Amino acid sequence: MIVSCRIDSLVGLIGKKLAIKELEDILFLLKAEVERVEGNEIEIEINPDRQDMLSAEGIARAIKAFLGIQKGLPSFPVKKSGKKVIVEKGLAKIRKFISCAIVKGVEINEELLVDYMHLQEALTATHGRNRRKASIGLYVHDDIKYPVRYYPETPSKIVFAPLGYDEEMDGPSILKSHEKGIEFGSIISSFKKWPALADSAGQFLSLPPIINSNDLGRLTTETKNVFVEVTGTHLPTVNQALNIMVTSLGERGGAIESVTIQYPDGSLMETPDLKPLVMKVSRKDIIALTGLELTDEEIIESLTKMCYNARMSSKGILTIQVPQYRTDILHPVDIIEDVAVGYGFDRIEPTLPATMTVGRLQPLTRLKNRVRDLLVGMKYQEIMSYILSSPEMMQVNANRRDALVKTGNPKSSDYSVLRNALLPILLDFIAQNQHVDLPQKVFEVGDIVVPSETAETRINQIPSVSGLTTDVSVNLTDLMNEIGFLLRGMGLDGRFKFVPSDNPTFINGRSAVITIDDEPCGLFGEINPEVLENFAIGNPAVGFEIHLPRDGQW
Amino acid sequence: MNEQHLTAGERKVLKALVEVDGTVPAEAIAENLGERTDRIVSILNALAERNLIRLDVRESVSYRLTDEGKQYAMNWLPEVRLFAAVKELGNNISVDQAVEKASLNNKEKGIAINWAKRNGWLGITKVEGKTVLEAKMDEADSPVMRVLKKLNEGNDTVPQHLDEGLEVSISRNLVERVVTKKFEAQVIEDRKDTIDTLLTSTTEGIVNLTPEMIASGSWRGAPFRPFNVTIDPPYVNYGKKHPYAEFNDWLKEILVGLGFTEWFGPYVETEFWNNDTLFVPQDHVAREVQDQFRVVSPYDHGDILNTRYYKAVKAVHENGGDTGSTGWQAPFSKEVAQRLVLRSHTTPVSMRYLSEHQEPPQKMFIIDRNFRAENLSARHAMEFNQCEGIIMDKGLTLRDLMGYLAEIVRSVGIKKMKFKPGQFPFTEPSVECFAKHDVLGWIEVAPGGIFRPEVTHPHGIKDTVLAWGIGSGRLYMASMGINDIRELYSRDLAWLRRKYFLR
Repeated sequence: MIVSCRIDSLVGLIGKKLAIKELEDILFLLKAEVERVEGNEIEIEINPDRQDMLSAEGIARAIKAFLGIQKGLPSFPVKKSGKKVIVEKGLAKIRKFISCAIVKGVEINEELLVDYMHLQEALTATHGRNRRKASIGLYVHDDIKYPVRYYPETPSKIVFAPLGYDEEMDGPSILKSHEKGIEFGSIISSFKKWPALADSAGQFLSLPPIINSNDLGRLTTETKNVFVEVTGTHLPTVNQALNIMVTSLGERGGAIESVTIQYPDGSLMETPDLKPLVMKVSRKDIIALTGLELTDEEIIESLTKMCYNARMSSKGILTIQVPQYRTDILHPVDIIEDVAVGYGFDRIEPTLPATMTVGRLQPLTRLKNRVRDLLVGMKYQEIMSYILSSPEMMQVNANRRDALVKTGNPKSSDYSVLRNALLPILLDFIAQNQHVDLPQKVFEVGDIVVPSETAETRINQIPSVSGLTTDVSVNLTDLMNEIGFLLRGMGLDGRFKFVPSDNPTFINGRSAVITIDDEPCGLFGEINPEVLENFAIGNPAVGFEIHLPRDGQW
Repeated sequence: MNEQHLTAGERKVLKALVEVDGTVPAEAIAENLGERTDRIVSILNALAERNLIRLDVRESVSYRLTDEGKQYAMNWLPEVRLFAAVKELGNNISVDQAVEKASLNNKEKGIAINWAKRNGWLGITKVEGKTVLEAKMDEADSPVMRVLKKLNEGNDTVPQHLDEGLEVSISRNLVERVVTKKFEAQVIEDRKDTIDTLLTSTTEGIVNLTPEMIASGSWRGAPFRPFNVTIDPPYVNYGKKHPYAEFNDWLKEILVGLGFTEWFGPYVETEFWNNDTLFVPQDHVAREVQDQFRVVSPYDHGDILNTRYYKAVKAVHENGGDTGSTGWQAPFSKEVAQRLVLRSHTTPVSMRYLSEHQEPPQKMFIIDRNFRAENLSARHAMEFNQCEGIIMDKGLTLRDLMGYLAEIVRSVGIKKMKFKPGQFPFTEPSVECFAKHDVLGWIEVAPGGIFRPEVTHPHGIKDTVLAWGIGSGRLYMASMGINDIRELYSRDLAWLRRKYFLR
């Protein structure tokens, strides 16, 4: 995801003057890439694992630690506000969870307001899975009469002026005509009742996850204290989003206060919980996975440069405090990677172990290569085509009815099925090259796909080879000689037969099935003029297709 | 070269010239020898270059009718026909009536009205709302018509007084100008001796060496007629491999050389193999229809064959199983796992390989096709080749991974590289190798990583598995000077016949 920052603002947060080149090099080592610099604007690509770096504040925090300006676990003290959010019954299936916080004394101006909105949008788009899993709302704390109620409400009774509008609208009209309603309405539209957030004076804060109220949910440069709420369907995701949002505001001088959430079963939860996650990793594992012979001091130094606090026990076990805004620490290996990142990828010397193995090609690749060599010897030009094709080409134009494997979300009908033969693809190819010098001899070696009810993934993927010759006059005898040369070249002398067979792709009486040990495995013939017409080919053509054994052995 | 020799053609032409005194037109020589004039001209040029003859070129201009001009020469010009119709029907006749009388088609109608007006033959006025025509002269004199007639009678020029009509005829595309070059040759007196020597020295010679000559030895002492061996051979079309296939062959050769074994997996996969076994959460955006092709017909769900493995993967997703991971802390759906998709990467093939090869050491690679729900454009394609592999051994490390990446990248000809920490759902740590490319600058060429325990433990594998990939399509495009991704699978036969991949 691309994060756009103002350079002066970013440098101000870091607290050290850095040239663009330095900034670029540091970000590169922190997994991020500078995409574009223009004037005071810098666009930085952030990997999806670092949701906490989706804002200038988060990026600056990571850089500050990495440069040693402010190492170790950042401290975000949380004071209890005593305010309460009451979750009412009936939301379990709709949008079960809510976590909230109050941030007081946040630095605010026109530009920062835009930044906070960007972070909110970016977080809900990626981490919140386009608001389905989690969505964030910011409100003017001082205007809210606590406790706040989070409850299911009949859509028509949710009435407020949505953000950016002066007039009141009800829930159904918001979904129908507000841009956010149109974009995200499908998340709640199938439910009878929709989630609503209102204060004890009956004023609506928002219709999560769609839109805030224009009164309580519109921050201005006058706003001093902010109420943050995150609703969603997955509690860890909801809490992580809240943690990232409030710690970013915390970087802007905000004092974080917690809110008590009361769930319908009476359980209470105090959010946000910014106490660090504690993980244990052994020195041995770090050295074994990275291959870096680091001293304890170096390990701890590397970790503090990545915003962790770490302590080494006498038995070589590190106790590590992980900041609560990190969403990507699932396993000790995630911390081990950060040891390497903190140490610096530019300082790591690659090694090449002697893992002794003997390499080889698939037997099928060797067979395919043999087939290609034989065909090139017969003056065929190799072509390569897409696997995706169209029913029109495969069936209608080629006069074939063999079943096709189809995709349900093609981008165009031209690429909506998997090819089940190569010959129609070659016909299409020569149709597109009518103006090119004759004779034309082309071939392709590649896999085709046919449905198979009993197979694990319901398909049979068959390696195949097909060749096609077109000229002002063509000759079936020459083609048969070529097929004989090809089959004998694969060691099949005496094992193959041509059995006359009618096939609508070819002219009646001028086609045959190729059998190997009496098993049909291919066909050839002179192309039916009807098929030539379908493909808009102006010259006669002869062609063949032979299926190859997957294991490369006949 | 070959100062003392003449080719058979040169000899014939030169002989013909020597026999005649004075200047001879090329056509006359051609006729005399029964050859095409262009061939004679090319031989004369060669002789002139050797300073044996003088070759003079004269240009002559002639004119001939185009198809349209021929038609009008016979049926009269549209404007002449229109004027005649008006004359016959009387003034103030409506346009439509006059056109019908003159039997002009739509195209001719426009031409006729335009030129009749420009020549001042007809006037167009409105009478009672109708457009009518009126003859402005008694007779229409058309120099163009006279030019057409002249040329149609077999002349290739016209008298000078018709020059203006000729210009108009040419501008109207009724007549075309033909420039013919006339070549006249003459032997250079001073070179007569040399020519004599040349003509007598090897008057005859062996053209084709036959088995009989070899058997009898009759070729001994006999001269061989020289051939022109300096000719630039024309482009011809023999059989050839596809340059992209040749590139992939080259990569395979390198990887086999590094000890990797090639492997295979199907284009249609269950989401289980495509995503779940790789620890991609079930609600990940890359699994949505915007990114991944779903297979819906004739079947939309497949089987998961190994129940024990399935349970281990499910546990890893839900709570980390026995890996020490937190997992995704969300329920795992078997329905989603069984859903069929077109594989979006080759990594499920690595997973299938690991399910069958759990004892170190192992090295495997695959180069094959994958599918992403993209619209086809210059920068994106719904199909792409991927080249990737794994290395499993005891005690492998991040440094070893970087060593392998560097080795693979070096073996495809890249000298300068740097490493950046990377991120992939199924590896940790992850690396991206950037290469300095001559043309493209720093590009990301080789992603890699160490498979997460959530990925290897369900297989029962506790050894380190390094995974690497290489952006082969991009390297190929750069080496072939291709900018449009659609040209990877070019449908242009002429291009394919011309192009080679050179290692």
